[in-house]
Amino acid sequence: MAEKVVMPKLGATMEEGTIDSWLVDVGEEIEEGDPIVEIQTDKITMEVEAEADGVLLKKLYEAGDTIPVQQVIAYIGEAGENVDDLVDDASSVDKTEAVTPDAKVDTPAEVTATGAGDSDTTEIRRTPIARRLAAENNIDLREITGSGPLGRIQKVDVENAIAQNKQKITPLAKKMAVDQQVDTTSITGSGAYGKIVKDDIIAANRPKEVAAADERVAFKGIRKVIADRISDSYYSAPHVTLHSEIDMTECVKLRKQLLPIIEEAEGVRVSYNEIIVKATAFSLRQNPNINISLENEKEIVYHSDIHIGFAVAVPDGLVVPVLRNVDQKGLGILTKEAKTIAKKARDGMLTPDEMQGSTFTISNLGMFAVDGFTPIINQPNAAILGVGRIQEKPVIINGQVEARSMMTLSLSFDHRIIDGAPAAQFLTDLKNVLEQPYKLMV
Amino acid sequence: MTTYDVIVVGGGPGGYVAAIRAAKEGKKTALVEADFLGGTCLNRGCIPSKTLLKHAEIIEQIEKAQNWGIETSSLEFDLEKMLARKDNVIQTLRGGIKGLLQAGKIDIYEGFGKVIPGKHVIVDEKTELTGEKIIVATGSRPAVPPISGLDKVAYHTTDKIFDIDHIPESLVIVGGGVIGVEFANIFSSLRTNVTIIELGERVIPTEDEAASKALLKSLKQKGVNVLLKHQVKAVHEGENTKEVHVTDKNGKEVVVKAEDLLIAVGRTPNTDAVAELNLAMNGRFIQVNEYLETSETGIFAVGDVIGNLQLAHVASSEGLTAVANLETPTVKMNYAVMPRCIYTTPQIASVGMTETELKEKGISYRVHTFNFGGNGMALATGETDGFSKVLLDEKYGEILGVVMVGAHVTEMISQSSAFMYLEGTVDELANMVQPHPSLSEALMESANALIGKGIHTV
Repeated sequence: MAEKVVMPKLGATMEEGTIDSWLVDVGEEIEEGDPIVEIQTDKITMEVEAEADGVLLKKLYEAGDTIPVQQVIAYIGEAGENVDDLVDDASSVDKTEAVTPDAKVDTPAEVTATGAGDSDTTEIRRTPIARRLAAENNIDLREITGSGPLGRIQKVDVENAIAQNKQKITPLAKKMAVDQQVDTTSITGSGAYGKIVKDDIIAANRPKEVAAADERVAFKGIRKVIADRISDSYYSAPHVTLHSEIDMTECVKLRKQLLPIIEEAEGVRVSYNEIIVKATAFSLRQNPNINISLENEKEIVYHSDIHIGFAVAVPDGLVVPVLRNVDQKGLGILTKEAKTIAKKARDGMLTPDEMQGSTFTISNLGMFAVDGFTPIINQPNAAILGVGRIQEKPVIINGQVEARSMMTLSLSFDHRIIDGAPAAQFLTDLKNVLEQPYKLMV
Repeated sequence: MTTYDVIVVGGGPGGYVAAIRAAKEGKKTALVEADFLGGTCLNRGCIPSKTLLKHAEIIEQIEKAQNWGIETSSLEFDLEKMLARKDNVIQTLRGGIKGLLQAGKIDIYEGFGKVIPGKHVIVDEKTELTGEKIIVATGSRPAVPPISGLDKVAYHTTDKIFDIDHIPESLVIVGGGVIGVEFANIFSSLRTNVTIIELGERVIPTEDEAASKALLKSLKQKGVNVLLKHQVKAVHEGENTKEVHVTDKNGKEVVVKAEDLLIAVGRTPNTDAVAELNLAMNGRFIQVNEYLETSETGIFAVGDVIGNLQLAHVASSEGLTAVANLETPTVKMNYAVMPRCIYTTPQIASVGMTETELKEKGISYRVHTFNFGGNGMALATGETDGFSKVLLDEKYGEILGVVMVGAHVTEMISQSSAFMYLEGTVDELANMVQPHPSLSEALMESANALIGKGIHTV
């Protein structure tokens, strides 16, 4: 008489179970206690063991099927026995079957191996069939990572390990794979009949090596301060940038003439930077609506003094020392002050006072191959001037092409408190004074 | 005009092997050969030299046996018979190749094949063939260096010396490479006074330094005069002698006189057949990509004409690779495991990288050398000259190179080649059982010594 195998009720709330996988094929001999099927509930995966010796005669369901508890899912009996008659009855749940599932179902998490030789593997969580399969195939359970609950080794894990063992791989490639932790199951070998060779391991491991080359630096210190200030300004003040091309030919001449004079007076060499700073202060005096700040989003301050900050690159960042009362100073004094404070900036010797109180800022990238850019306002200023390089270009003057020293200025302004026209007026005035620098004398 | 799937130009070990493989893959194949089937290897190279080197080996064995209680009267040499045996061997093999080509239904065209644009091959300016693909395997010829007076002197190259009509009393060999030392071995055993003139610091300069030293020692024991770091300045025809003017590294001039002169300073690729194609060149050689295709799509080149290692088995391997790539380039030519053999007594055989190469590439390695003086078989057969050296990768025990000097090493090297090709490591080499007694035990000993488990090593 064939024995029924039913879907066990593993807990008070369990209504149905899903067949995860059959561990035995039809016709296979089984002993009492052998796991025959893995079932899955919403909580756990478990194996159902045979309650009798015999042959698996019939499976009524396939892996993936969900079956109510207590329903017959298979029959075990003697080889050749016909169970077709019984199958019809099985569709009705047999409530009378006195099954005590809790007792019949092996609880894998608590399995301990018997036999002294296994002492090393007794602590390993594995299902009984996994243990048997591993033993039969000479697989060391310690080398397998389980995919079941709590890392329990299941039949499929052992099968994968067997497949991996059978995978053709050269001794050298195997050593390399172990050492470099390359998963060879995902590699298609390029050797004869798919044998994995050295080059396959090298190819499989290549991207890892590339990723390792990145350097990572903590985002802190001066970099963090700069970052915060830049994004505060950029996201709070709507920026508009105006560009204007300036004919610097007269400034070039002026600088040439002033060079020996200032060098004799102050011992420093005047550069375009100071001339531009001076011209900017001159134009700011003409356009007081640019030399302003928005304070706490409550008041607009029209500054009476003109203090100009200028950006200086330092290792790992930039600082903005401030030249004070630029409009009141001659080019000689201004040049000396600018050189002194820039050196202090580069040497990291600036005092906090020397970096505060600007009413307008200039960022000069003229020493690089940069023509124009969109500078970000140095808050609480309302505008910033970006300076590009001076370059000789063909310019048409009175219908004639002439080589002139040209430079682009880029004015970014805070559109909340400065309108487009006044900004344009300021840039135009600045252009005029740079193109006719004798105006500075007035 | 006959049309073929593949036309192979050149019937040497690169060409005929490629033709047979192509035919076996169902391609309608033609082979064009200007001279004899088998190329340099069979007719003027590997095979005739090995035939004569066997004579040298037997002569040396007989001499050695005098001390072992096997006494003979003085030896007499019949060069005519020796060369007849050589010719017999060549003819047997030539016949074999012809039979294989015919069995493969390959059309053989005897004549000089010239490849012209449009993948046409003109044989002896008469017959025109068209090929879907062409494999150029035209080989090389002995290089003749620009030595003053050489054009006025009768000299040998490897093309002619195999048919020398008598054993010369003395012979100067210019070039101490593989060919030079093999001929020195052949003629010194026939009692010829041999002088080798080599420009470099050592004979066989591309091989392992210790192997080179061992060979130099053996040449000197055979009575060969070896002039290293000597440059040939001029040659003159003297009275029944050739006068070779050489200078040493200090510029001091020496005159070496000998009855015959052999020039063995390397080989020049035969590129006449493709002169009209305007192919991209790699120096004097035809340039090919890793699939052995030339700058012209559908035209492949293999063997000596593309340079690299100018060895018959390399040419054959290239020939097979080229055939595999005829339709679509898929198989890259792999030169990593190419054995290199020198058939002197003792022989020299190597595979993989040399120590010099490893140092140049900055690869860290471990090395173990086992001298055959400590090997039972070597002692029993009186062949204790030489050593076996194994070079290992430090991390995985990969076998990076093996060099052997001694008797039978040109056969034994294939064991190391197999290990390298199949990517066995030092552990497998150490565990594999070798027959006893055998020279091959040296490999096992070196491998065990390198993993700290040597038995017969201290």
